[in-house]
Amino acid sequence: MIGNDIVDLQLAKTQSNWQRKGWLQKICTIQEQQYIFTSEKAEIQLWQFWSMKEAAYKAHQRRFNLSRRYNPLNFECTPKGEVYVGNYRYKIITETQNEYVYSIAMVSDEEYHSSVYGKKTNARSKLKEIISEKLNIDSSLIYFTKNSKGIPLVHIDQKAIQLPLSFTYHGKYSAFVVSI
Amino acid sequence: MTKEELLSKLKTIITPYVQNEEGLTTLTENTDFIKDLEINSANLVDVVLDVEDEFDIEIDNESMEKMLTVKASIAVIEDKLASK
Repeated sequence: MIGNDIVDLQLAKTQSNWQRKGWLQKICTIQEQQYIFTSEKAEIQLWQFWSMKEAAYKAHQRRFNLSRRYNPLNFECTPKGEVYVGNYRYKIITETQNEYVYSIAMVSDEEYHSSVYGKKTNARSKLKEIISEKLNIDSSLIYFTKNSKGIPLVHIDQKAIQLPLSFTYHGKYSAFVVSI
Repeated sequence: MTKEELLSKLKTIITPYVQNEEGLTTLTENTDFIKDLEINSANLVDVVLDVEDEFDIEIDNESMEKMLTVKASIAVIEDKLASK
């Protein structure tokens, strides 16, 4: 199973005042807070942790078909690129650019395809192209829906197929990851 | 506090974080903060902190988990107010 999350750093700056009293404590464990406060780039470290948590949340939710919850504290990041949810471990790959932080979470080393796009490109249509190419299916037969828990599903010629995938959008950026 | 008063206070709190204004005009108990109002998930923390300040209550993690809809948030606020 797989999940992803992108943070537009410029938008995050205006959207969130992470130094607000009590804010960090609701999101980050004491250990994570220590990493943030001792980091030379505290703000970047915070958004790295946040994207790791969100990506792991999506992978975990898809894996067990869980109802939605807002529980960032239950997703514990390690500086080695892992997130633990209780005893479940997710491996995280985080890409940090000047403009964004992007994380992909997976259960084990899976083969995946992922791309980040600027605002003008639609991540959904790009993913359609990739599925169409990989599975050799006409892209007009492919469409996406969501189940009752908000988890995206791929349909090919009206049949839902199990393809682990995740979309993320924030500000100027969008991205997808698919295990195919 | 009546449910209407509570709803109106909650509406004031969430307004600055709403990205889909249309969802706000048709706000009901069933409105979903992320799906309907497109509140950024990092801003849900701000909603929780603003609710704590406005109602002078403390929202533990177990309650915060549920606060994804208007209905669930009102239930949490009512519960916390009752046990004050």
